[in-house]
Amino acid sequence: MPAESDVPSGWPTGFSDGEENRQAVALLLGLAGLLPRKLHALAHDVGTAAGCVAAVRAGRAGSQADRRYAADTDAAAVLDATHAMGARLVACGEQEYPPDLEDLADPPVGLFVKGRPLWAITPRVAIVGARRCTALGKEVATELGRGSAGAGVAVVSGAAAGIDSASHRGALAGRGDTIAVLGCGLDVVYPPGNAELLAKMAEAGALVSEYPPGTRPMPFHFPARNRIVVALAEALVVVEGAERSGSLISVEHALDLGRSVFAVPGPVTSPLSAAPLRLIREGATMIRGSADLLEDLGYGRAYSVAPPPHGLDEAERVVFEVVDGSVLPETIAASTGLSVPEAVAVLIRLELAGLVRSVGGRFERRLAASPQALEATEA
Amino acid sequence: MPIASFAAMYGRVIGVTVLGVGGHAVTVEAHVGRGLPSLILTGLPGAAVQDARDRIRPAVEASGFEWPLRRVVVNLSPGTLRKEGPGLDLPVATVVLAATAQVPSKLLDRYVLAGELSLKGELISTPGILSVAIAAARGGMEGVIVPSANAAEASQIEGLRVVAAASLAEVAGFLRGTWEPPVVEAEDGPAEEGSAVDFSEIRGQAQARRALEVAAAGGHNVLMIGSPGAGKTMLARRLATILPPLSREEALEATQLHSVAGLLSGRGMLTSRPFRSPHHSLSVAGLLGGGSGFLRPGEVSLAHRGVLFLDELTEFRRDALEGLRQPLEDGRVVITRALGSIEFPSRFTLVAAANPCPCGFAGDSKRVCRCGDARREQYSGKMSGPLLDRVDIRLTIPRLTKHELLGEDPGESSASIRERVCAARERQRRRYEGIGVACNAHLPGPFARRITVMSSEAQSLLAQAVETFALTGRGFDRAIKVSQTIADLCGAQVVEAEYLAEALSYRGTAPQDEGLADAG
Repeated sequence: MPAESDVPSGWPTGFSDGEENRQAVALLLGLAGLLPRKLHALAHDVGTAAGCVAAVRAGRAGSQADRRYAADTDAAAVLDATHAMGARLVACGEQEYPPDLEDLADPPVGLFVKGRPLWAITPRVAIVGARRCTALGKEVATELGRGSAGAGVAVVSGAAAGIDSASHRGALAGRGDTIAVLGCGLDVVYPPGNAELLAKMAEAGALVSEYPPGTRPMPFHFPARNRIVVALAEALVVVEGAERSGSLISVEHALDLGRSVFAVPGPVTSPLSAAPLRLIREGATMIRGSADLLEDLGYGRAYSVAPPPHGLDEAERVVFEVVDGSVLPETIAASTGLSVPEAVAVLIRLELAGLVRSVGGRFERRLAASPQALEATEA
Repeated sequence: MPIASFAAMYGRVIGVTVLGVGGHAVTVEAHVGRGLPSLILTGLPGAAVQDARDRIRPAVEASGFEWPLRRVVVNLSPGTLRKEGPGLDLPVATVVLAATAQVPSKLLDRYVLAGELSLKGELISTPGILSVAIAAARGGMEGVIVPSANAAEASQIEGLRVVAAASLAEVAGFLRGTWEPPVVEAEDGPAEEGSAVDFSEIRGQAQARRALEVAAAGGHNVLMIGSPGAGKTMLARRLATILPPLSREEALEATQLHSVAGLLSGRGMLTSRPFRSPHHSLSVAGLLGGGSGFLRPGEVSLAHRGVLFLDELTEFRRDALEGLRQPLEDGRVVITRALGSIEFPSRFTLVAAANPCPCGFAGDSKRVCRCGDARREQYSGKMSGPLLDRVDIRLTIPRLTKHELLGEDPGESSASIRERVCAARERQRRRYEGIGVACNAHLPGPFARRITVMSSEAQSLLAQAVETFALTGRGFDRAIKVSQTIADLCGAQVVEAEYLAEALSYRGTAPQDEGLADAG
């Protein structure tokens, strides 16, 4: 077997040709012990998928558990289960297999895909961030998803809670494309609340996983999933992340793969700004929203500054002016000369108008109403 | 004095047993007749009364009297009523003295006797004496003979002579006319004493202070969500100081409950509204009342006419929280036992506090929440249900920065807030006169919708809120009731849009738009 560094990129010609090899790919994707990197090296050593399975069965590759799995699993049944849920196997070397994945040193040997063909969903940008994000971060991710997808740039993410789901939702809301890369089988709903979102994406975009149907989400699946998210996209956007956030691993992948890295800044006081702010200091491109992103990627141009909100009465206008950062009602009362109940009443009217929101007993402007809000006009 | 040895002797004394908070007259008879020396109690004595059997003889002998070395039968009637509590020690001891002619019987049908005896014959502080005094007055008795430690509470009842005795010997002296009891001064009603805490001590948290004023004015229950250390307990403790002062009836009701629970410790009458803050490890019986044998009022009843503060709401036992539904709706707790059911009043303002999530930092601007989704899910599940339906005001308490704390002037004093609260309550009292509702919080939802007069601007705002904030039917009713209270605080007849808008700020927003969503 050649040393890993000597392994050529891509897959050997004819590796997955023929039904026997396709079934072998389905089987190889179920091996937990034979890491993609080792499998990739083995592929170049042996030449065909069936040969790789034979090596596993003979104990020359993979773990004991892999050997048992290879002996006990009926590959045809895996493919049947895949088809039964309306999905398909995309093996390496096939036309739908995204060539971008071959940039990886550990490309998946195949993907289970549900939804539209992957080659039809391009160009793509990855949007990732904290699962436990702030309301602001969620709004930023939604705007990025909507703006990008609306301008024809598909959103790739991991369908996790928080930023991931918000960017997918934004893309769907913008009537654009989106791809979710899952850390479990395509028939497993994770996180549990996302059933509806996943169903919508399977229809409007695509769900992708390197794990066979029925695979439960395991902690180590998610970092592995991230490499596919990044590889599928031409750029990576980090929205919110704490110090030592998982998003930083995605950034490592992006740098290895030569993808551009963008970050959306947040308040320096917020712990969830740690990752993006660090990235910006280290050279990532700062973006304020989808308009910046589209311009930098060359998919959009001109900006116009969002008009100040209209239709406000005098009190609403005065109060709105002083909602600066995350403020207490009494601070607003003090700087406007209103009583606290009066200030609260005006703030609630602004909240009903979609201009501010209350978070943890404080009020802040919503994204659309912030002075930094820029509207992208299509190129 | 040796006991005459002729055949049978008889005596009769009147005592009171306390069931729940009510006192019931008990006729205590003694028959001293032939047979081996023994004391037999008949007439459904409860465990504590049965206990008295072995305590009485030492107490009598230690007081310098002779115990009849004969068969003594003491009967408690009516026989269908279970007699509970230690207050029957004194009647049982006295009736034996009366039956053996060691004390004269002439005062015994005009006085009610109550009190627990020590082995040395001292009368010691006894729970429920206020209820005894009320029962005695109702029964047309001339006076009560009670332990001196409980004299103050007994003296609250007008037209009742209180004989405060420190021992069985003094009681005997009074009955013989050889000892004059000290004069017990009737205390004035609920004279307002300076409370230990005051609203002026709170810096910052202006919205929360205002919300508590609204809660006090309309009798609304409050839920406070906030990170640890944000000041939830401090705020809750001060709510009792801005509720209207106790009326004499209210004070009497509350005092009676505290008396039954043995918590009065010598005071005559509660002078300020009770504030109860039980720990979350409390049992169901501890919260709602009950226990085996002697039924003790629970925390919900000790908070009667005051504030019940449940800190760390989600840590309380689920069955205990479920049990709060009845007191919150009916203002009373009914405990049913094999021998019938008893009732404790429990009309309180609930203040519940909870962290926004198990770790406490969801929605915090400075810290990151570290809770898993499943834990948060489970946590917010605990906050839902019938309990929260009864909570009209839901607040998020922000953690203040040092700058925000220092920038604030000290707040208004409790006394001046209370003036506005009282005025608002008075408006409600007049409006709801004759329909049995005391305040806005107790209005049934459909009724509140019908009688609340809203400006057209307020109506359209409400329609918009239903849409934008996804208000549920209950959330809708809560907004109406709270806006009515704000109008009452402002002295307005009509609910204006700004009152409604403020009421909507108390609808409870979930940290990060999820988790603790409206439970209604």
